[in-house]
This record gives sequence, C-alpha cells and structure tokens, in this order.
Amino acid sequence: MGLGRYITARVAWAAAVAFIIVSLTFLLLALSPNPQVQQAATQAALQGDNPQEAREQARQLRGLDKPIHVRYIDYVVGIFTLNWGWSTMRSQPVTEAILSSLYYTAQYSIPWTILTVTIGPIVGLYSSANKYSWRDHAATGFAFFGFSIPNFFFGIILLLVFGIWLEWVPVIYNTNVAVFSLENARQLILPVFVLVTGSIGGIMRVSRNESSEYMNADFVKTARAKGVSPLRAYALHILRPTMVPLSTTMVGQLLLLFAGSSLLVEVVFSIPGLGRVLFESVIAQDTSLVLGTTLVFVFVGVIGNLLQDITYTVLDPRIGYEDR
Amino acid sequence: MSGRPLLEVENLRTTFRTDAGELVAVDGVGFTVEKGETVCIVGESGSGKTVATESVTRLVDTPPGTIKGTARLNGRDLLSMSDDELRSVRGNNIAHIFQNPQEAMNHCFSVGWQIVEALQAHQDVPDDEARARAVELLDRVGIANASARFDDYPHEFSGGQKQRVMIAMALVGNPDLLIADEPTTALDVTVQAQILRLLDDLQEEYGMGILLVTHDLGVVAEVADRIVVMYAGKVMERGGVFDIFERPAHPYTQALMRCLPNKGEETDGIPGRLPDPTDLPDGCRFAPRCEHAVGECEIGDQPEMVELTRDHEVSCVYYQQGYDSAVVRDESLEAEGSAGDAGVSDD
Repeated sequence: MGLGRYITARVAWAAAVAFIIVSLTFLLLALSPNPQVQQAATQAALQGDNPQEAREQARQLRGLDKPIHVRYIDYVVGIFTLNWGWSTMRSQPVTEAILSSLYYTAQYSIPWTILTVTIGPIVGLYSSANKYSWRDHAATGFAFFGFSIPNFFFGIILLLVFGIWLEWVPVIYNTNVAVFSLENARQLILPVFVLVTGSIGGIMRVSRNESSEYMNADFVKTARAKGVSPLRAYALHILRPTMVPLSTTMVGQLLLLFAGSSLLVEVVFSIPGLGRVLFESVIAQDTSLVLGTTLVFVFVGVIGNLLQDITYTVLDPRIGYEDR
Repeated sequence: MSGRPLLEVENLRTTFRTDAGELVAVDGVGFTVEKGETVCIVGESGSGKTVATESVTRLVDTPPGTIKGTARLNGRDLLSMSDDELRSVRGNNIAHIFQNPQEAMNHCFSVGWQIVEALQAHQDVPDDEARARAVELLDRVGIANASARFDDYPHEFSGGQKQRVMIAMALVGNPDLLIADEPTTALDVTVQAQILRLLDDLQEEYGMGILLVTHDLGVVAEVADRIVVMYAGKVMERGGVFDIFERPAHPYTQALMRCLPNKGEETDGIPGRLPDPTDLPDGCRFAPRCEHAVGECEIGDQPEMVELTRDHEVSCVYYQQGYDSAVVRDESLEAEGSAGDAGVSDD
C-alpha cells in the first residue's frame, strides 16, 4: 500500500470517527430534556392552560414528535449540509454564530500556534546543543514556569500589571478594530503570550530531550565526517528525527490548549470567541449552539489527529503503513 | 616512497575533561600513512584507537575533548586549520567509515539523499548529475539495482549493504585517505570478507591510503601493510606486517598474538585489565600486566621508541642498551611460519 492510499484510508477513518461522534451527540441530545419545551409547558401552566397540550405543541413545532430515526437522518443531513439549527441565545443560525466567533478565536489562535510550533523545537534544540549552560537552565526554568502556571491566572496577573498598573495594553477587548492593526496587536499580545507560555514548555522539554538523544548519534558523526556544516547537521540530521516523537506531543498540547485553555483565556480577556460562546451557550441552555460549538472542537481534534498520523509517517520512513 | 607521507601524525594527545579528572585517551601517538598503503591500528577495546583516528579530523567533540599535536595531510596540519578549512577536507580528502553501519546513517533520509549530501557538501553539482554519480557509486560498491535503490531508506538495507553504502558515501570526494574504524566488526564473517575485499579493490582503483582500526588480528594479517600497536593511549610497537607477525617484539604484541586461535595454547586472553585512563601508571603502560616487568619498567615515562630494524620500532626497556632483549623474545611465536597464515581463516 502506498502513502497515497494510506492517507486516503486515514481520511476515511477520520470521517468515520467524526460521524460516530455526531451520532453520539445526537443520542445525548435526544435523551436530554429540551428546555424550550419545558419552558412552554411551564408558561402554559402559569397561564392556566393545559401544560400537556402546550408541551405537545412545542414538540410538534420543533419536529420532536417525529420518529427517532427520521429525526436522526434529518439531524445528520443537517450537520453535513451545515444546517446546524437556530441559536435562541444569539437569534441567528448556529453556523453564523460559530463563524463570527471563530473569527475572533482565529485572530489569537493562529499567532500563538505558529509561535509555539516554530520557537519551541528550536529553543529545545538550542538547549540540548548547549546542555547545562546558563541558557539551557534559563530555558528549562521558563519551560517549567509556563507549564505549571495556570493560564487564566497568569492572564489575570498580566492584565493587572500591563493593563491596569502600567496601562500599556487595553483591558477591554474592542471588536471594532481592524484585524491587522497596531490596536489589535496590542490587545491580543497578552492572550497570545499567555497561550505561548502555556504551550511552549512541554514542546521545549520534549524537543530538548529527544534531540539530546541524537546529538551524539553515529549518523550525526557521519554527517560531520562528510563535511556537512554544523547548522545543517542540527537542522536536518538532528531536528528531523526529533520531530517524529515531538509531532505527537505538539498536536496533543495544541489541541488540549485550543479546546481547554482558550476558553478560560477568552473569558479573562473578554474575547467573544468560540470558547466564550460555548461557555455562554451552556449557561443559557442554548442546546443547538452548545452542540455546534462542541462539534467545531471535535472536528478540530479529529483533523489534528489525522495530520499527526500523516506527518508521523512522512517524517519517519521506518513507520510502516501496511495493514492499518 | 620519496617525499613526505600522505598522513603524518606526531605527538597526538587527546584528553577529555570528566568529573573524575582529566582522562587521557591518546597520549603522544605518532604514525604515518603512505599513499596507497594500509596501516592498521590494533589494540584491545579501550586502548584509544578510535579516539586517535577521530582526533585526526577533529571529529572528537571539543569540549569536552582537547586535541594536541600535529596531523599533517600532504603537509597541511589538520589540527591547526580553521573549522571551515577542515570541513572542506572531511569527506573530500579524508573519508570515514564507522563501526556500526546500523546507526551510521540517518534513518529519516534515503540512502541516495545521504550520498548526494556528501557530494554536494564539496562540489557544486546539479541534482540530477549528483544522483547519477551516487547511483554509479552504489553500483560500484556492489548494490544490486542501484538506481532503484537510490530512494530506499537505510532500514531497507542489510548490515553489509549499509556498510557498502557508507563506502560509496566515502568515495564521493575521491579521497586520498580512508579512515575505517572497525568497518567489519558489526558484520557477520562472510560479509566481513566481502567488505574487506571491496576495500582492497577500491584502494587499488582509487589509490587511497587506508587507516584501519581493528582489534581483529585476522583482518590485520589479511590487509595491513604496516601495523601500529596501541595500548592505553600509547604506541607500543610499530612495524611492517611481517615484522609484527613474525617477530613481535613488545610483550603486549606477543600477548595479542598468543590470543589468536591457532597460536600457542593460551587463548583465554591477557590477564589483568587496561589501566584507568584518569589515573595512568608511571613507566610503561603495560608494565602492570607484563610478565617480564622489572623495576625500571614502572618509573618515568613510556620507554623511548627503539628501532630494531628499518621501520620496526618498539617501546620496551628490554631493547634499550644494557638490557637483554632475548628475555622478552618469544621463540614460539617466531618459530611459527609466515604472517600470511597467522590467524587468518581461509574464506
């Protein structure tokens, strides 16, 4: 089986996983009480009407009276045709609500991801090339600090110092500034810094330890004996094999942070992004929106793992893709 | 041969900084390699053979290592030249092959890519031409179906094939000197013979000098022109292959010879062990294990080299004036035929 077929198989598998998750969420949704139906019944009871009748009416209005397999098919078709339902909290289609919040999430997520992915491995490599020097110790200290400190707490402290005491950055997030403007850079610098600090530590450590293993490898000696420059030896002969295990850590870390910490960071920095929409829709019991935002995180996770599997095989030719 | 030798190593001293103090791996070693000849460095594991050869092209990491002395290739001192100059020598004038072909290539890149990398490190060759050269070399070293195997990865080759690829990689610069560090130790016996024969053929074809590190005296007898016997970082004896095999002068060389399966009865090795390289003994390094050692052997420095015959030198007090060298001569070793069949299995 060639690499092309392996990738096709992986993509098909990822689609199957996504489908299973979509089905499971439907099941959870079908089993949970619908707050709007509940509300209609309560209201009817308060007004002296028949709550049972009102409940039926509300169910009918939302198509909940149809048999479960019909609802399932409607739901799945809706998911894949991007008809994700209506958000009562935002009074707009769920897809629209998600797209508009994704716009804000992307503005800080893309920078911190790029920074972490590029700086992390390089600093780790540098650390391992200069093991036990003061720079290595400084990098290790920074890595453990970033790894240990809770992101939301670090965000609050930074906001207090740089937003309130020093007044270098705005405290309130302004949605009206242009994406590529100094203003936007100023209000996003702290969340980006917090997230890079939180994510880069693990990557630096893994990169340092993995590349240490290759620093004295025979093949690096071969490269030097061939007359290859030290920079090339580091960048190709050491970094490349280091990236194999590192790519696993990297995807895991980034996904964890994207799904978990970005929510907290968005709340702290009042960014109306995906994490905060999820948080608010849970509070407001806006089921369709909860489901929609959850699905976005799910798809990001599935795609992340897919990319990881593929990079893994591309980076290390020894990893076979037969019989998988 | 007239003029200066291809490689001339003098007073090479390589030390390492360790927690236990200064570790002296190579201590004042000297030898020469002439154009087109094979010089073998022999000695038991830990005697500093590998460090000595890797010091020549400064492959030893500095720090923690420190390399002193001179190593002149065609008159240019490799140990005092700049890193950039040295880089243009490595892989170009001097090529290395190493002991363990399993680990010597990067598992992330195809073998062809790695040969091309070696070529393009020194010559401005376009990719397609470099590929053609690499295929040609792979073919030369006996990789069947070379152009198809260019894109294969190291793990798709057997140990012997990998060593062949390493040899192909070493040949890209048409080197003057090939340093081969135990190139057959990790291979099985039938493959060993093939690799040695290949090296022998290529030496003739390319006119390279070969500096071969080994502890396998069978290999030495087969390929060496001259031999350097090392022990604990010092040269014990130097000489032509016939001198060393037929008239081993130093007690250590004799002890090595007695370890050959068909020489004498003693095959259970040399009693004792190598001295601690951070705390080396005074006098002759071998004295603590030497059956002939006298008081003189354990004071001062390693005895001066004494020339026995032309090109046969030994570092042992018994060959100095006032001593009777007959004491250390081992008649049983000398009585046994020529070097040609000393310990060499017919393969």
